[in-house]
Amino acid sequence: MSTDLESRPEASAPLPGGWQDDLANVGLIRRLLLGRRWYGADWWFVAIATAMVMAFFFLGAFPQSVAPFDPTVQVGARFLAPGETPDQDVLIFHVGSDAKVLADLASEDRIPAGVVRGTPSSEAIRDEADRVSREMADTGRPGEVRLKIVRFDLLSEALDALDSGDVLMVASSSVEFEALAADHPDLFMAGPIHPETGSGQSFLLGTNQIGQDVFSRVIWGTRVSLLIGFASAFFSLVLGVPLGLIAGFRGGKFDRALTMVMDSLYAFPGLILAIAITAVLGPSMFNIILAIAVLYIPTYYRIVRGQTLTTKESLFVEAATSLGAKTRVILGKYIYPNVIPSVAIIFSVNVADAILTGAGLSFLGLGLPPTIPDWGIDIARGVTTMQSSWWIITFPGIAVVLVVLAFTLLGEGLMEIFNPKLRDR
Amino acid sequence: MIRKAQLIGVVAALALVAAACSPATTTSSSTTTAATTPTTQAPVATTTTEGTTPIEDKVLIIGTTDAISSLDGSDAYAVHDWELLKNIGEGLLVWEPGSGDKLKPGAAQDFGTFSDDGLSYTIKLKPGLVFGDGTPLTAQAYADQINERLLVLEGSGGVGPALGQPYVASVEALDDVTVKFNLTGTWGFFEQLLAGAPYIPLNPTQFPAGSSAALVEFPDAPIYGNGPFYIDSYVLGEQTVLKPNPNYQGDRVPHVGTVIIRYFGNPQAMAEAVQAGEIDVAWRILGPELLAQLEGSDLHVETISGGAIRYLILNHAAGFVTADPNVNKALASLIDRDDLSDRVFGGFVEPLYSPVPPGFLGATDVFDDVYGSPNVDAAKAFLAASGYTADNPLQLQVAYPPEHYGGTVADAMQVLKEQFEASGAIQVELVAQEWSTYIGAVIGGADYSVSLLGWFYDYPDPDNYISPFVSNGGLGTMITDPDTNAGINATAQEIVDLMAEAASSGDQTERAALYDEIQKLYADLVVTLPMWFEAEHVVYRDGVSGDAAFGSLDQLNIGGTIEFNYATVSVD
Amino acid sequence: MHPLTITFLILGVPALAALVYIYARGSSALRRYVTTRILLTLPMILILASVVFFVLRVLPGDPVTSSLGPKGSPEVKEQLRENLGLNDPILVQYVRFLGDIVTLDFGNAMTSGQRPIADELGERFPATIELIVPSAILALSIGLLFGTAAALRRKRASDYSMRLYSVVIYAMPVFWLGLIFQLIFGVRLGWLPTGGRIDAVIGSGLPRVTNILTIDSILAGDWQAFGSTMSHLVLPTLTLGLILSGVFLRLTRINVIEVSQEDYIAAARARGIKEFVVRYKHSLKNAMIPVITLIGLQVAILLGGAVLTETVFSWPGMGRYLVDRISSRDFTAVQSSVAMFAMFVALISLAVDILYSLLDPRVKY
Repeated sequence: MSTDLESRPEASAPLPGGWQDDLANVGLIRRLLLGRRWYGADWWFVAIATAMVMAFFFLGAFPQSVAPFDPTVQVGARFLAPGETPDQDVLIFHVGSDAKVLADLASEDRIPAGVVRGTPSSEAIRDEADRVSREMADTGRPGEVRLKIVRFDLLSEALDALDSGDVLMVASSSVEFEALAADHPDLFMAGPIHPETGSGQSFLLGTNQIGQDVFSRVIWGTRVSLLIGFASAFFSLVLGVPLGLIAGFRGGKFDRALTMVMDSLYAFPGLILAIAITAVLGPSMFNIILAIAVLYIPTYYRIVRGQTLTTKESLFVEAATSLGAKTRVILGKYIYPNVIPSVAIIFSVNVADAILTGAGLSFLGLGLPPTIPDWGIDIARGVTTMQSSWWIITFPGIAVVLVVLAFTLLGEGLMEIFNPKLRDR
Repeated sequence: MIRKAQLIGVVAALALVAAACSPATTTSSSTTTAATTPTTQAPVATTTTEGTTPIEDKVLIIGTTDAISSLDGSDAYAVHDWELLKNIGEGLLVWEPGSGDKLKPGAAQDFGTFSDDGLSYTIKLKPGLVFGDGTPLTAQAYADQINERLLVLEGSGGVGPALGQPYVASVEALDDVTVKFNLTGTWGFFEQLLAGAPYIPLNPTQFPAGSSAALVEFPDAPIYGNGPFYIDSYVLGEQTVLKPNPNYQGDRVPHVGTVIIRYFGNPQAMAEAVQAGEIDVAWRILGPELLAQLEGSDLHVETISGGAIRYLILNHAAGFVTADPNVNKALASLIDRDDLSDRVFGGFVEPLYSPVPPGFLGATDVFDDVYGSPNVDAAKAFLAASGYTADNPLQLQVAYPPEHYGGTVADAMQVLKEQFEASGAIQVELVAQEWSTYIGAVIGGADYSVSLLGWFYDYPDPDNYISPFVSNGGLGTMITDPDTNAGINATAQEIVDLMAEAASSGDQTERAALYDEIQKLYADLVVTLPMWFEAEHVVYRDGVSGDAAFGSLDQLNIGGTIEFNYATVSVD
Repeated sequence: MHPLTITFLILGVPALAALVYIYARGSSALRRYVTTRILLTLPMILILASVVFFVLRVLPGDPVTSSLGPKGSPEVKEQLRENLGLNDPILVQYVRFLGDIVTLDFGNAMTSGQRPIADELGERFPATIELIVPSAILALSIGLLFGTAAALRRKRASDYSMRLYSVVIYAMPVFWLGLIFQLIFGVRLGWLPTGGRIDAVIGSGLPRVTNILTIDSILAGDWQAFGSTMSHLVLPTLTLGLILSGVFLRLTRINVIEVSQEDYIAAARARGIKEFVVRYKHSLKNAMIPVITLIGLQVAILLGGAVLTETVFSWPGMGRYLVDRISSRDFTAVQSSVAMFAMFVALISLAVDILYSLLDPRVKY
C-alpha cells in the first residue's frame, strides 16, 4: 500500500506556512487531534481506526479477560457449529448381558466397546470409563474399566455387532439411537454419559477439529498477530530509516550500490523470500519476525532516501550546511524530522502488511508451532473440513481482515492528515 | 453509482458465461471416450455383464494426490511409482491381488528354490515372454538389468540399489529362462523382496543395461513393460493414460479400455472431484475429515489396512533425557492412542501397539500388554523413580515436521502434549522444524530427544518394521552404534542378535516366534514408541467394482500390500 | 519451439515493439536511457541469483536426505550426492550455475526424477502467466474505472464505498478470500471447479504448444477445452485480481484528484471543453502515468500472491513449485526459478519504464 507514496515521494514533503506550522510544532497524538479541525468530515475515518487499533491492543494484551476458555485445550465436542448444542451421549447395552451400568463390566481384560468413527460419543465413552474406574477405586470396589474400542462406519453396523455379541456396549447419541431402536428390540439405553469436558455446552463460534473453542482461539490469536506485526515493522524501521537517511544524504557509490541491492530485494516476491528465510532459520516466532522484517526494509529505505534527497536540496538545509553544521546534526535535526510523517504512515501500513504476510506463512505451514493460537494456522487446518465446518476458517479470516483494516485505515487517515493536498481545497 | 453497479453486473455476468461454457460436473467416463483411441487387439476380459458399453470404450479415471517421481524401476521408491510399475510390469513373483500376505508366481513359472545353504535362489521365467512392444524378455536380459542397474551404485544414481545391493551379490542366467540370484546372506524374506518394484523386468529398449545403463526417470511414452497395461502418455502433475498391453500373458486381465490417473494438488480438490463424479475412484491420502464428509454421501468409502505407521523416535544416546529408561516407560504409559485416533483423526487411524502393524507376521499388541496405556499412575511412579515430580518436572522437547505428514500431525502433537502433561511431572515443548532440516537432524541423532517419524515398508515383512530402528544407530534411536552395530546395552544387543537369527531363518513359524520375543524386548526398552497406523482408504462411486476372481471386492482388490491393480477393476 | 521461449516472446512483444520504436524514432537521450536501463537489469538478476545460490548452500539439509527421508543406507545417499555434484567445491558449483544461467539451459533438477529444469519451468511458468495476466488486467480495470469514478464524486456515498472497498479488499488475506470463494461458488453453489487448470479428461486430448491452456485450446480449435480452462480460471483470477484491485483503485483515485486540481484541467474547463472529455481524457490520461509505474512494482506482490492462490486452487504454477522445491532442497530448481522470476520482474519493470518514458515527456533520463 505504501507504494502509492513511493511513486510520489515529494507529495508528503512539508508545505510552508499557515496551519501546517501549527501541526509541525505539536506531538503525534496532538497532531491527530488537531488534524480533525482541518480534516472535514473524514475525521471519523481516523477515529474509527484508532478505536479499532485500541480494541485490538486490549485484546492482545489481556486475551484472558475476554476469551472464555484456554485456547490450547479441548473444551468440548469436535466440530460443533456456532451455538450448536451437542446431543446427549448414551451407552447402549444388550438385554442379554447382566450389565446395567458401566461398572458392572469391570474386569481384568479390555471390554470391547463399539463407537462410530468421528462421533463425539467415541471420545466421551473413554472419559466415562476413566470416571467409573476412579469412582470404583475411591469406593474400594475392585477392578477397573478398560475399553477396547472397536470403530464402525455406521451406527447400524455397531448395533448389529452388539446384537451378535462382538462388542459388549455401544456409545452413541441418544437421538441417533432412538432413530434405529425399532430395528434392535433387544438393546436398551443404559443411561447418559457425562463427558469431562463441555457436556451439553454450546460455543459462540463453535469448536474446531480437536474440540478447542474457536472464539477463544480467535481472541488469543490477536496477541500473536500484533506481536509479529509490530516487532517486524519495528525491525524494518530501525534498519531501513537510517540506511535511507545515510544513502540519500551521502549519495555517490555507496548510495548506488545500496539502492541496487534494495531494489533487487524489493522487486523479488516478498512471500517467497520470507519462505526461504524461515527455511534457513527454522520456524520460530523470532525467525518469522526477522523474515518479515527483511522484506520491508527496502520500503523504508526507498521513501526515506527519496525524501532525504528532496529535503537536502531545501534552503534551510543548505543554509545549515553552509554554516558548517555537522552531518550528524543535519541528519538528526533537519532532515529526520521531515521524514517522520511518511515513516509513521509506512509503519502503520507495514504492520498491516506484516500481519498478512505472517498469516500467509502460517497458512503454508511455515509459521509457528500449533500450540500457539494463530489465525493463519487455524485457517490452514480448517481447509480440509471447510465443506462441513465453515466456521473454522471463516472467523479467524474475519479477524485478520479486521486487524489489517484497522491499521490500513489508520495509515490512510494519517496520510490525509500529513498530505493535505488530498483534502478539499 | 449506476454505472458502477452495471460494471459489477458485467463482471459477474462474464464469470457466469465462463462457467456455463464448461459444466464443472462432467459425468466422467461415458461422454469423453472420443478423445481416446481404443486398442482393439488388446486382450480384455470378455464378460461384459455390466452393461452395453464395449470394454475397450470403458474409461476408468482414478484420482490421486501422489505424483510420479520416477518411472525407472531401478530408481523408483515412492508408493505411486511402484503402483504404476506394477501395473505396467509383472514381477517374477507377485502379490495375489487383494491379499496382504499371499505371494504367487507372476512372470515366473513357479516359486523358485533356495540352495541348501540359503545363499542362492533359482527361479524359472515363463517361456516366450515378450514386452508390450515385442521385445523378448530373456533370463539373460533380466540378469543384466539387475546386475547393471540395481546392484551398481556408481553412475546409476538410482535409489533402487538400496533394495538390491544389500541383499543380492549378483544374478546369473543359467539358460534362456532360468535365473539364479546369488545372495549376500541368508534372507528369509527374499521372496517378498523379489515381488517389489525394483525387481520387475524392465524393457531393455527403454532402460538399457550395460555401459549405457543410465537412469531413465521419464522415458518417452509409450512405455511398454510386461504387465497388463502400458503407459500411452503422461503429463506430470496432470495425468497418466494407460492402455491394455496387447502382449500381456498373465492373469490380471484388464476390464477397461483406458485408465486415466489424474493428479491432484490437494486432497480437498480430489474429494470434490469424486463427489462431482469427475473421477471414478479417489485413492490414498484423503485425510480423516474429508473421509468423514464423504462417508455421508452416496459414495463407497472403504478402509484398507495399511502399512504406514507413525511413531516417536526416542533418542537413547547419553545426554538426552530419553537415555533414562524410566522416562521412556513413563511416556509409553502416558500415551493414549485411542484418544489420538478419535480426537485427531476422527477414528480414521488405528492405535498401534507394536512396531509391527497388525496383519504382518508375528505382530502382537505388546505395548498394550506391557504398559496398558494410558496409565497415569504407573507413569507417575516411573517418573518419581527418576526424581521427576510436579515440583521438579521433566522438561521434554518433542520435535516434528509440521508439513511433511499432513496438517493433522500438528493437531496430534498438541493432543500428545496434553497427554504427556497429564502426568503433572512433564512439561512438553513442541518444536516444529521444516522437513529437510528435520530429517537430517533426526537421523543424525544429535539434536532431539523425542521426534516423530513415519515408516512404510520396503518389503512387507516384520524385519522391515524393526531392523531400521535397531541396526546402525536405528534412524536416531541410537540403541546401537552407527558403525559397529553393537547394542548400547544387553537388551539392545539381544534384539540385534535375535533380528539376525530371524532374518536368516526360512521357517515362518520359527520366525514368528522370534519376532514375538523381539517385540517384548523392544517394548521393554521402548526403542521407539508406536502411535498409530494409517489405514489407506479408497473412495469410489457406484458402478465401480472389483473382479470377483480376486479377493476383497469391496476394496477393489487392494489388499494389505497396498497394491492397486487397475486390471481387476471395472466400471459400468 | 520450447514453451518457455514462446511465453517470453508473447510477454516480450510489447516491450520489443517499444524498443524498436525507441531505437528507430526516439531521441538520443531516450536511447541512452533505455540502454543504461537494460544494462542495469543484468547485475540485478545476477545479485539475486547469487544470493539465492549461497543461501541455499547455507541451509541445513540437502536434496538427497530430503527426498529419501529415513530410507536408504548412508552409502547410497553418499553416492547420490556424488552423482548430483553436491560434493564438488562450492565455487565449481557456482561457476556451473552461472554457466547454466547464461546458456539458459538451467541443468537438471535434483529431485523428482531429475528432469531438465527447462522442461519443468516450461510447464510451470506458463501456468503462472495464465493466472497472473488476467488477474492483473482485472485489477487494473477495476482500479482505473472505479478509482476515476470515486475521484470524480468526491465525498459522496459512492466515493466512500469505493474507498471502503479498496481498504477492505486489501485487508483480506488472499488465501482466505480464495477459500471463501471456493466455499461459496465451488462447494455451496457448485458453479465452478475449485482446483486444477483443466478437466483431466478434456485436457488429455489437448495438444500442448505453449502450455498456456487458453491459447493451446484456441490453437487446437478445441472449444470444449477452452471452456474448461476458462471455468477453471474464474475463481483464481477473481481472487488474485480483486485483492490487487484495491491498490490500483486507491492510486487512481488519488491521482485523478491531484490531476483534476492542476491548472491545465481548469484551463481545459475554462476553454469550454465538455466535462466528460475533461474528466476521462485529460484527467484519466494523466493520472494513468503513476498507475503504470505501480504495475511494475506490483509484479512482485502479484507473484507473492500467486504462491498462495496457486496453493489454494491446486494450480500447478511457479509459486507452488518454488515452495515445494525449497522444502525438498532442490538446489538447481530453486536457483533457476529465482533467476526466472528475476528475469520476468526485470522484463516487466523494463517495459513499464520504457512505456513511462514514452508516455510522460517530462520524465528525466
